[in-house]
Amino acid sequence: MVHALTEAHRVLKPNGILMDLRPAAKHRRAGLGEGKHWKRVGVMRENFDDDIAADRAVKQVIRDDLFQQESLIEFDLDRVMDTLQDFHAWLDDFDVEKLPSHDWLYQKVERALEKKPAGTKIAVRGLMRLRVLKKIVDSID
Amino acid sequence: MTLVMDPTGDETYALKGITNWRGKRILEVGCGDGRLTLRLAGFNPEKIIALDPDPKLIRTARKNLPEKYKERIEYRAGNAEHVKHKANQFDVIIFSWVL
Repeated sequence: MVHALTEAHRVLKPNGILMDLRPAAKHRRAGLGEGKHWKRVGVMRENFDDDIAADRAVKQVIRDDLFQQESLIEFDLDRVMDTLQDFHAWLDDFDVEKLPSHDWLYQKVERALEKKPAGTKIAVRGLMRLRVLKKIVDSID
Repeated sequence: MTLVMDPTGDETYALKGITNWRGKRILEVGCGDGRLTLRLAGFNPEKIIALDPDPKLIRTARKNLPEKYKERIEYRAGNAEHVKHKANQFDVIIFSWVL
C-alpha cells in the first residue's frame, strides 16, 4: 500500500492531489426501503484488518512528508437491490476472511421483507470516507 | 444481479465539491467496470486514464464507454504499484476502493 502511494506521489504534478475513496471502517447496515424511507434491519459484522492497514499506510506517507492531508469527508453510500437473491449474491461476493457467513442477516432481512409490500427494495447503507491529500513538493531526492 | 450503487448521488456530490475538475488530467486507480469513471467524466476533466488490474473488467468498461466520452476516457489494465507514466503527469489521482 505504501508503494502504491509512493508511486502516486511520483506521477502527480507538483501540488497535485490524491483522493483516497473507500468504505470507512464502520459496520454496514442492511435495511429495507430507499432514501428517507430506509429502515435498518441489521448490522453487518465485517473484519476491518485491511482497512486498518490502509489507514496506517496513509499515515506513513504523511509522516514521510510525501503528502499533507487537506480534508476528510464522510458520507453514506447506498447499494439498492431488487430481490433477496440479489442480496444473497452480494453477500456471497465478499471474501470469507473479510466477512464470515451472514446467513443470520439474510434470514432477518427475509423475515422483515415478508411483512412489507411487494416490490420493497433491500438497501445496504455504508459509511464512505474520502480523504484528500496534497502532494508535498521536493520531498524526495 | 440488480444492484444500484449510490442512487441518490451522494458520492458524486462529495467528489464534485472537493476540487475543480475542469481541464484536469486525472488518473483513476481501481476503475473496475467504469461506474465511477463515467461520473468523473461528467465533471469535464481534460483526460481520465482509468486503471484496473482485472483485464475482464477493463473490457467491460470499454464496452460500456459512451461515444461522447471516447476522447476523454482511456481504460487500461494496470495497477497502482507500477503506473506506466513519467513523473509529474496528473493533477488528480483517485484511489477508488483500492487501498
